[in-house]
Amino acid sequence: MSAAKEARRRIAVAALAAVLGATLGLLGSRARPQSAGPSMTKGTNDTATAGADIYRQICQGCHMPDGRGAVGAGKYPALAGDRALLSARFMALTLLEGRRNMPAFGGTGQEGFFFITPTLDDEQIAAVINYVRTHFGNHFRGTISAAEVKALRRPP
Amino acid sequence: MNRESGSMSRRQLLSMIGTCAGSAAMYQAMTSLGFAAESSFKGEIELSAAPAGASVLVLGAGIAGLVAAFELRKAGYRVQVLEYNARAGGRNWTLRGGDRYVELGGFAQQCAFDPGLYINPGPWRLPHHHRGMLHYCKLLGVQLEPFIQVNYNAYLHGQSAFGGQPQRYRTVKADYDGHVAELLAKVTQGGQLDAEVSAEDRERLLESLKDWGALDKNYRYLKGPMSSDRRGYQSDPGGGLSGRPVFSEPVRLTDLLASGLWQAMPLSEIYDMQTTMFQPVGGMGMVGQAFARELGPLIRYNAKVIDIGQDASGVSVTFEDSAQSMTRQTLRADWCVCTIPLSILGQIPMKVGAPMAQAIAAVPYAAAVKVGLQFKRRFWEEDEQIYGGITYTDLPITNISYPSCGYFSRGKGVLLGGYLFGVQAAEFTSMPPQERVSKAVEYGSRIHPQYPREFENGISVAWHRAPFTLGCFGMWTEAARARHYDDLCRIDGRIVLAGEHASYIPAWQEGALTSALDAIGRLHRRALAAGAGA
Repeated sequence: MSAAKEARRRIAVAALAAVLGATLGLLGSRARPQSAGPSMTKGTNDTATAGADIYRQICQGCHMPDGRGAVGAGKYPALAGDRALLSARFMALTLLEGRRNMPAFGGTGQEGFFFITPTLDDEQIAAVINYVRTHFGNHFRGTISAAEVKALRRPP
Repeated sequence: MNRESGSMSRRQLLSMIGTCAGSAAMYQAMTSLGFAAESSFKGEIELSAAPAGASVLVLGAGIAGLVAAFELRKAGYRVQVLEYNARAGGRNWTLRGGDRYVELGGFAQQCAFDPGLYINPGPWRLPHHHRGMLHYCKLLGVQLEPFIQVNYNAYLHGQSAFGGQPQRYRTVKADYDGHVAELLAKVTQGGQLDAEVSAEDRERLLESLKDWGALDKNYRYLKGPMSSDRRGYQSDPGGGLSGRPVFSEPVRLTDLLASGLWQAMPLSEIYDMQTTMFQPVGGMGMVGQAFARELGPLIRYNAKVIDIGQDASGVSVTFEDSAQSMTRQTLRADWCVCTIPLSILGQIPMKVGAPMAQAIAAVPYAAAVKVGLQFKRRFWEEDEQIYGGITYTDLPITNISYPSCGYFSRGKGVLLGGYLFGVQAAEFTSMPPQERVSKAVEYGSRIHPQYPREFENGISVAWHRAPFTLGCFGMWTEAARARHYDDLCRIDGRIVLAGEHASYIPAWQEGALTSALDAIGRLHRRALAAGAGA
């Protein structure tokens, strides 16, 4: 990994870590010292890069680097060519609240024990949705904004 | 943390208070979610004789399925087990040299450990109060040895604590206890506790603080024989002319608090981690293997369940045999104990009512990653006198755990180079397996500079990519448990679920085991009520 790439990755990861409100008691889940960086999407217009970074750091763990999902005893759905992606709002709700075995990434209280799920803010959720809907061979029209994601959050 | 000036920004202070509250909140959450609950295992289950000819299909040969099959067979049921993997045990699993592991996405790894060396990608330790696991280990002849959870000579490490220099657990604990005891003694003597503490108790309290914190006769925690007897010496006492001890200097309270290292201290005080803990000799997978030997041909391997049906007279389960070009086959039985993880079960067509179906869909699965690293020599023992136990760090690897066996052996050694949860685990899951290994080496070398020179090979398991679980364990929240847990556990017609996901001890094998015993006890009563052959 190039130094620039590594640095960008750090910042992205830092942004994720920084929004972790809860903590572990293990030192591990605290926002890391090097994480005192700006939010990855704020102060930059490059939301496509932000979306790509989030995808590479989190989503591809299950949906795979090529977006094609995987099959074992059960499966992870492919995001490439998935018609459910027609609705950016469906995706936003899935990210915010989780769906079946997929954890929530909206910070909605699924961090029961110390296995804290990464938490994404509205801008990050919008960025990764817009990225997935226009990559992996997808050409879905329209984008979703951070404000629209925010509107989908359930009141606490 | 700006340690030179000794100052602390408001943000840092707030973050520290948040962390502090988090530790307490964590423990509370653990208790309410059942993590700190004692096992409900009360001794060997004795089911009365099964109805004549009654049969049970067990889905999954992890700990829950194996225990269920073992006990149901003993009661006289005709039992068959379907297992997706080519081995028994499920998450009870040990990786050894020669093993090949292909995770979802087709990423393949070949374990290159030397003979006798291993890692347990899943469960790796047995608390002394997990009586069910200990019972079956004894029964099946699985030899146990101590698992070292607490090692006073292992490290606590923070990237910005003490210039990134790892600190021995011993010194952090001694200094923390000592300083806190001294402060308490001060307020006790100053009369600030007089409303709470009687005059008589005041003297006892002072005496106990002196004992607990290794305070001197003036109730001070200072460099000297008392404190060095806890935190260790600058030069240990020995014999003859060279044996005069040199006392060590305690770390100042303010530096200790600023380091944040105190956060890791309560971990071994948690009920599930209290000494004594055990591990099977040769790897946790020995348990699954022992059950497999016991059950023999009852387990059908390479069977991927694709449909679970039931009607008034029985259950029918369809599976694909991956060893025989995915040939489909359907088996029938009177009853079914289904231990398939909810992450997978939720995708299998299944004839159950809405309450159970909704419960199955209500539980997301946690990320966790383990990395095993082989080194040319056991430098942690040879250079640093660390024999088993765990080093905690705020680096993404979170833990380094040293093997609790094979001490002083001259050959190579394998340690657990990382055990990651949450956001760090998600990140590592997204990497190719070999990148996880090289990251673990990179991070670990900040604690053990010997790493780069001594490292040979490694293997990593990211549980979200495990083809047979799609995650580490079911993440119940209090709200989800209140709403769905009972529906998940209740028998639906002829089907009952079991596994760690159907327990108040999530992620522990004892949860899987006690859930299986609970489930088959109820199923047996229903089978008896239904009568012979029903």
